[in-house]
Amino acid sequence: MRTWFAGTVPARRIAVLRTVIYLFVVVDVLRIGNDPLAHGDVPANLYRPILLRSWLHLPAPSHDYVRVLLGLLVVSALVAATGRLPRLAGWVCLLALLDWMSNNYSYSKIDHDQFALVLALAVLPTAGPARWRDGDEIRSEAAGWAVRMVQVGVVCCYFLSAVSKMRFGGWGWANGAIFTWAFTRRGTAPTDLLLSVPGLVHLMQWVVLVAEFCSPALLVVRGRLLWAGLAFFATFHLMTYLTIRIHFLPLVVCLTAFLPLERLVPHRLLTSSSAVRRQAAPAQAAAS
Amino acid sequence: MAGPPGAGDRTVTRTTSGRLSRPGLAWRVAVTLAVVGLAVNGSVRGNDVQWPFAPMSQFACGVDLDGQIRSTYIEADTTAGTTVRVPLTAGGVGLGRAEVEGQLPRLVADPALLQSIAVAAARRHPGWPRYTKLRLRQEVSDLRGGEVVSTRTERLADWTVVDPTGLR
Repeated sequence: MRTWFAGTVPARRIAVLRTVIYLFVVVDVLRIGNDPLAHGDVPANLYRPILLRSWLHLPAPSHDYVRVLLGLLVVSALVAATGRLPRLAGWVCLLALLDWMSNNYSYSKIDHDQFALVLALAVLPTAGPARWRDGDEIRSEAAGWAVRMVQVGVVCCYFLSAVSKMRFGGWGWANGAIFTWAFTRRGTAPTDLLLSVPGLVHLMQWVVLVAEFCSPALLVVRGRLLWAGLAFFATFHLMTYLTIRIHFLPLVVCLTAFLPLERLVPHRLLTSSSAVRRQAAPAQAAAS
Repeated sequence: MAGPPGAGDRTVTRTTSGRLSRPGLAWRVAVTLAVVGLAVNGSVRGNDVQWPFAPMSQFACGVDLDGQIRSTYIEADTTAGTTVRVPLTAGGVGLGRAEVEGQLPRLVADPALLQSIAVAAARRHPGWPRYTKLRLRQEVSDLRGGEVVSTRTERLADWTVVDPTGLR
């Protein structure tokens, strides 16, 4: 059980993952999920707070409030991306993102593509110190659990999407016209081409549904099978972007938690002296 | 690369310090189970307001092969004498089309809420001509065998903007 929940990984993997995730948060709030900024100008009678905001007594977004929050988010994410103050910057970033995203979803439209990202922000502060220059010998179970949780978040998104399709669309979801619906509402030139091939969208619906139901395998398989699974989902997201301009990038970024990210760091950057110095430090602090 | 993170790495763990204490492992396992449990509950029987543990329901609705596809839009007359399509985006009036559709029953029941769309447009784009009249419409596409065979427009609500030049 220990190995599955919290197998050791190089601390360097967490360092790289932090950089990837927190830098993406900056891009996300500035360029992608930036509706909350616009919501600051929308009169409050169209504000329909979700439970999280009601429980935390968060106010209806206003012009100034969302700008201060955006500044806090960007600064905390940039600090966390460097690996400094991983707990303080990480927790601040998580709380700020929860405020930001709950604002996003308090106008009667909820997306699920941020779930794995929010989960990532919730677990990364628990992984303890980690540096890009940490040697291979610095490993920790705390880091392993954080990586595993991001993976679990990704699989939840896929698998529970399939569950929701059965709940809301019924067992006939894949035999319906959902892709035609999406293509008609958000059509581009490629969608017209796809719709012109008889049976193609029907087949695509089945492929997506089966893949989503099979996604828990990502937590079990290894080697080429895992690479193939990741490549499939990455391609799927690319296709949805090219066809209906929906990219699910927050989820795609979390797919990187399945990769041996520590190999991205050139070997010459690793300092054995720092490795020796910090050998006892990283996960011990996080182990409590 | 491996399924369990790092399990495929050849390096043998040689730091005992990397090992979690029993309480450290216990709370992590408990959190994992709680998160998965809440997420499953959200998709099996929860609803949208429970985010982040809401149903993963984007594109989950069933669409009948002989059903309809509805797409909402708002058309506006402006102080410049023009008629424009209201940009239902974050960069436009600050609300997306899906958000307007999420509040459609309210907007139809109380068209005065459309005033807020005009206010949001004025706040976000002070240089634009102000909206004087808003028409909430749906484009309805009829399907036969999964293909669009006809398209028509349905009128949902109209609103004459109060004090269009004084909006803020």
